[in-house]
Amino acid sequence: MLNSFKEILAAAKQNEVKKLVVPCPVAADLPLLAEAAEAGLIIPVLIGAGSSIELLVNGSPLAAEKYEIVEENDPGSVLGRAIAMIREGGRGDILMQGGVKHQDLLNTILDKEQGLLPKGRIISFISVFQLLKREKLILVTDTFINNNPIIVEKQKILENALQLGRILGIETPKVAVLAAIEQVNPGIPSTLDAAILSKMAERRQFGKAIVEGPLDMDCALSQVAAGRKGLQSVVTGNVDIYLVPEIETGYLLAEALVLFGKMQTAGMVMGTSKPVILNLPFVSDENRLVEIALACLACIKGGTNG
Amino acid sequence: MIRSLADVSKLALSKGPKKIAILAPEDEEFMLAIKKSWEMGYIEPILIGNIKKIKEAAKKVAFNISPFQKISGNEHQGISDLGIRMLFSGEAPIAGKGQITTSYIYRSIIREEAKAGSGMTVSVMSLWEAPGIDHLIAFTDTGVNIKPDLKAKREIIKNAVFVYHLLGYPRPKIAILSGQREVGGKLVSYEDYEALQKAADAGDFGACEIVAATSFTDIFLGGRDRRVDYGNINGEEMPHILLVPCLDTGNILCKLDFFLNVKRSSLVATSRGPVCIPARSDFSDNIVQQITMSVALANRMEKEVQ
Repeated sequence: MLNSFKEILAAAKQNEVKKLVVPCPVAADLPLLAEAAEAGLIIPVLIGAGSSIELLVNGSPLAAEKYEIVEENDPGSVLGRAIAMIREGGRGDILMQGGVKHQDLLNTILDKEQGLLPKGRIISFISVFQLLKREKLILVTDTFINNNPIIVEKQKILENALQLGRILGIETPKVAVLAAIEQVNPGIPSTLDAAILSKMAERRQFGKAIVEGPLDMDCALSQVAAGRKGLQSVVTGNVDIYLVPEIETGYLLAEALVLFGKMQTAGMVMGTSKPVILNLPFVSDENRLVEIALACLACIKGGTNG
Repeated sequence: MIRSLADVSKLALSKGPKKIAILAPEDEEFMLAIKKSWEMGYIEPILIGNIKKIKEAAKKVAFNISPFQKISGNEHQGISDLGIRMLFSGEAPIAGKGQITTSYIYRSIIREEAKAGSGMTVSVMSLWEAPGIDHLIAFTDTGVNIKPDLKAKREIIKNAVFVYHLLGYPRPKIAILSGQREVGGKLVSYEDYEALQKAADAGDFGACEIVAATSFTDIFLGGRDRRVDYGNINGEEMPHILLVPCLDTGNILCKLDFFLNVKRSSLVATSRGPVCIPARSDFSDNIVQQITMSVALANRMEKEVQ
C-alpha cells in the first residue's frame, strides 16, 4: 500500500515510461515536464504550432530531455488531435490540460463520439491528501467536476474513488459518506444518499469496501467523538475515502485542507478511459509531479475506470 | 475588539459569573465543562433535565451540584422549551446545550422569537481561532438552514454582522463562499454572492463589506491564476465572516477543528441572548471555550439592550 507522495513517485518510477500528451503547452508547465521526463516517468508529446513550441522548449529545461512535437497549426483542432492520439493507443497514454481552458477540456473529454468517456461512466475528480501526523493518504471526492450529483452519480463517483484506492493498494477502503449530521434525516437529502450508499455496500455492491454514512465530520475524523454520539464503526477515525455531498462542500473542503491545514495534495480525474491531469491552483508545483506519477500508476494498474 | 479566544476568556472572567440554563447536562464531558466553567468563575449553572442522570454525571466528575438550581425534565423538547423560555424571560442571560439534539433547541428558539415578535431568523455561527489569522473567523450558518435561499442568507448575514459589531469589529468583512470554479456553469451560490454584494453596497446589512472572493483560493492566493506555495500561505486577507452556501458545507467545514490546528466555538445569537451550541461530540475544554464565548457575548448584549 502506498502511504505517501514519496512512495507514489517511487512506485511510478519502477514502470515503463508513458507518453504524456499536452495540447497547447504553456511555458509554466515546461519545468514540470522536464522533471517528470528526467525522472523517467514520461515522454512529453507537445501538440500545437511546431515553430512556437520549439521556441518555447529551447529556452526551457525540457530542451535537455527527450520530447516529441506534433504539429497542429489549427488552434481549434489541437485538443481534438490530442484526444484522438490517446484514443488510438500507442501514441499517447495520459492527457494533461496544457494551455486549454478547463471547461473546453471537459467538454471534449465528455464528447460521446470523440471523447474519453466510456459508456455508462461519469467522470469525477479525486483529491489525494497526505496526512500531517502519520503516513497515510486520504482521498476526497468529488472536489472539482460534478455540481450536484444524484444518487446514481454518487454511486459512480464512489466507484471511481474505490478504483483509485485500488491503484494505491488500499485493500479494503473505508469510506465516509459525509453529511451535515450523522443521523438519517428525510429533510436533509445528503443523509438519505449516504444511507443508501452505505446499505449498498453492506450488500457488497461495491465489492471489498466498508462504506459508512451518513457521517458528520467529527464522527468521520474521531472514533471517540463518534462514540459519544453512540456511533460504533471501523470507519470512524480511520477513513480512506471521504465522499462529499456536492461541489460546494467538495471544492471548499479541498481548498481548506490545503490553505488552512497546509496539507499536501495532488489530484486526478477518474472515470475516463485514459488518465487526465487538470491544472488547479491549490495543487503546488511540486505536487503536480505526483499527479503525473499517479496517472502513470493508473496506466498500469487497471486504468481510471471504477 | 475581541481578536482571540484568550480575549474572550479574559472578558468572561471579568464579567462572570453569569447564570446559564444548561439543557440536559447528562453526560460527563458536558458536566466536566460546567464544573470547570463554574470553578473559573464564568458561570452559575441552572441544570435542566433528568435529575438522576444529571446527578450521576456530576458524581462521575466529582462535582458538587447541590448549590445550583435544578429543574426536572425528561422529554428533550420540553427541557429545551423550558431553558430557552428562561433565556427569553430574562431569568438566565445565556442558555447552553448539553447532551441533546440541536434541532429541539432550534425549534424552541424559533417559537420564542416568534412570540417576542423579533423577526430574527435563527442561524448558528461557528467561530474559529486559526493560526496566522489575527481575528476570529465565523462560518455561518452551520446548524439550521439546510439550503438557505437569498432571503435567508440576508438574515444570516444580519445575525453575523450583529455579533461582530458586539465583538467590537466596526465594519466586518464577509466572504460569500461558493463552489464556483472554472467548470460547471454558474452556481446559485455565486448568483447569491453577486446579489448580496450589491445589497451590502447599498447598506442593507449596516456597517460591513462583502469582499470580492468566493473561495479560499481567492482569499489566500488573491486569485485563481496564482498557485499555492506552502512556504507562503498567509491569511492576511481573511474576512471575518464566511457565509457558507448550505448546511452540509458549513457543518463539514466548521468541524475541521477535529483535524486541523484551529479552535472552534459555536453559538446562536438570539434577540435576547446567546445560546451556546457545542456539538454532542465536543470535549470538555472545547465546551468551556464555547461557554466563555457566550458569557462574553451576553455581557455585550446586555450593554446593547441597556
